[in-house]
Amino acid sequence: MKKLLALVLAMLLALGCCAAFAEAEPITLDVIICQYGPNTQDWFLGKGMNGTNFVDKFEAENPGIKLNLQVVSWNDVYTEVSTRISNNNAPDILNIDVFANYAAEGLLLPVSDYCPDELFKDFFPSFIEQSVVDGTCWAVPDLASARALYVNQDILDEVGVEVPTTWAELEDVCQAIVDFYNGDVYPWGIDMTTDEGQAAFSYYVWNNDGGFVDADGKVALNSDKNVEAIEFAIGLYNKGFTNPNPATQTRYDLQDMFGAGKLAMVIAPNQLPSYLADKGYTVNFATAALPTNEGATPGATGVMDRVMAFKDDSYPDQAARNEAIGKFLTFFYAPENYVGWVSMEGFLPAVNSSVAALVESDPSFEAWLGVLDSCQFYPTALDNWDAIKQGVIDVEQQALTGGDVKALLDDLQAKIAG
Amino acid sequence: MNTIPIRHKWEPYVWLLPSILLMAIFVVFPIGIVFKLSLSEISKAGIVGGWNNFENFRAAVRDPAFGTVMLNTAVWVVSVVGLSTLLGFITAMALNVKFHGRRIARSIVVFPWATSLVIQASVWNYIIKGEYGNLNNVLLNLGIIKSAVNWRATYQIEFAWECGVGIFVTIPFVAFTVLAGLQSIDKAYYEAATVDGAGFWRKLWNVTLPLVKPSLTVCTVLNIIYVFNSFPIIYTITKGAPANKTDTMVTLLYMRAFYDNQKGAATAMSVIGFAILCVCAGAYMMVTMRKEEQ
Repeated sequence: MKKLLALVLAMLLALGCCAAFAEAEPITLDVIICQYGPNTQDWFLGKGMNGTNFVDKFEAENPGIKLNLQVVSWNDVYTEVSTRISNNNAPDILNIDVFANYAAEGLLLPVSDYCPDELFKDFFPSFIEQSVVDGTCWAVPDLASARALYVNQDILDEVGVEVPTTWAELEDVCQAIVDFYNGDVYPWGIDMTTDEGQAAFSYYVWNNDGGFVDADGKVALNSDKNVEAIEFAIGLYNKGFTNPNPATQTRYDLQDMFGAGKLAMVIAPNQLPSYLADKGYTVNFATAALPTNEGATPGATGVMDRVMAFKDDSYPDQAARNEAIGKFLTFFYAPENYVGWVSMEGFLPAVNSSVAALVESDPSFEAWLGVLDSCQFYPTALDNWDAIKQGVIDVEQQALTGGDVKALLDDLQAKIAG
Repeated sequence: MNTIPIRHKWEPYVWLLPSILLMAIFVVFPIGIVFKLSLSEISKAGIVGGWNNFENFRAAVRDPAFGTVMLNTAVWVVSVVGLSTLLGFITAMALNVKFHGRRIARSIVVFPWATSLVIQASVWNYIIKGEYGNLNNVLLNLGIIKSAVNWRATYQIEFAWECGVGIFVTIPFVAFTVLAGLQSIDKAYYEAATVDGAGFWRKLWNVTLPLVKPSLTVCTVLNIIYVFNSFPIIYTITKGAPANKTDTMVTLLYMRAFYDNQKGAATAMSVIGFAILCVCAGAYMMVTMRKEEQ
């Protein structure tokens, strides 16, 4: 009897040990986060989260999950990720802007595998739609920013013109500024560089009822509306209304010119005010909607980044891994953490639960949230978005050097769709 | 009593082993990888697949910018190497003459070379900027121009600026290699030539040139390789814009690999560039060496 008891006890002890051991073995998640600004690193890994940081706080609240988190600059992140994929060492969780190639090549987990329902319902539906391919959602938005027109109010007042709302008015205002300053102030900023020329494309085609895709989501780059829009933009350059070198002057160059009072109007994201303040510019500016072609529906440009999870078939307990990824997301989007993250670099939120707190902390958010509602986004769910983006920038730059917009867009459409 | 150390035939190889290992790991192995990649399918996400029947090379050659960029590369290499060699040679001749402050002059000439290329290119980028460019500021303040001039009005002009910067930063390298060659020439040759009644040009042509030729050859071959592979100047000033019209092979392949997600085509371009360089540098060396033998 004693022997039996001892045996049972020993077995129980062994089982207990096993269970304890199993519990103690932590899951380590490899996470790559993009560097949005000077505070990103500090918030995730330093002391930027009220004296602590994201990783420490997460690990304290979620025993059994370790984070191997790395903050990578936007310049390097694509190379970093593709190198890791080539070496069969993809991160578990990735924060980046595009997802379609990873999804198309079967590298991603569907969001439904790991994202808790309650959290999924919290995302703005119009944002979630941007990451859906054939009915499956592959990524969730981490934040967004929206673009608006910024005008130098002092310049407009001095010239005696109002903020333009239509393309016709825009040309008149530009002409008035050119006449008044005799060329010393550039009326209108255009950035058609390889950095962000696709944004310029969107500013004009979306304000002329055109776009990258048609109503069915098929690539439609050479529509008449698009041709008209890009011809209008190139026309502004040809008439001498813009900065002199749109192919090499990036948005940051334009923002600096705007800050220095050398450029009267520029399209920029909602972080422009903090950019100007950080650089010590004191320019009296106002914001407005982008000018629209007569009769067209106004279209604002939104930019969204994402969080996605990669498959790792080698991991023994997939359910536990999915749960850990879910816990990471739940923690990240919890208002007490997420509000700090979004407001830190002046971005706009992607979930409803943080809106109230954000508006309370900065009332100017409210107007931007309105803009977000009407925003259109790049068709990043297409797996040939890379080629589209590169193609429209090439068209713009060819047109700047005298190329025919229609012929160029026809060629591009044939190349992309054919 | 002197002891003659016993040397084995393999001894030199032992001493060479560290450099051979370093070269193998950091040069030969990566080159091999690039060759392999250029023949493999590479997905947009970065997955390396199998042999794809030279599809990467076809994609590279079919690239709409390929023709323009090859031409640009030729213009870039010939103008930068050619003009910097000429100007560097003249500089070396000047620095070889004794004058007050020659040491200072020599150190000033080396400055552009001692500064990182990215910094040089950024500084030039600021100098020629239309709005706040230093060039405009200086000329405006001196009253030479009335209003700011756009110093980069067309892409041809921008490319010319880039070549100019390339020449400027390459001159010191040529000047110092040639100067070393000039200093090793025995003065007796010039004295003999003077006695025979040779003038400046005659001495330059028949004494100086033949004697600095070995250093000039090495310097030109190295220059062709450096300039062909030079990336920072063009990337900093125009990034190849507009529409790849100011790209050279190296900047184009960088854009294709890291901006446009065409890694396959980019690796193929890199192999093509390697082949072109091998042929050009090899041909140049063979021609000059053969002449020397004659």
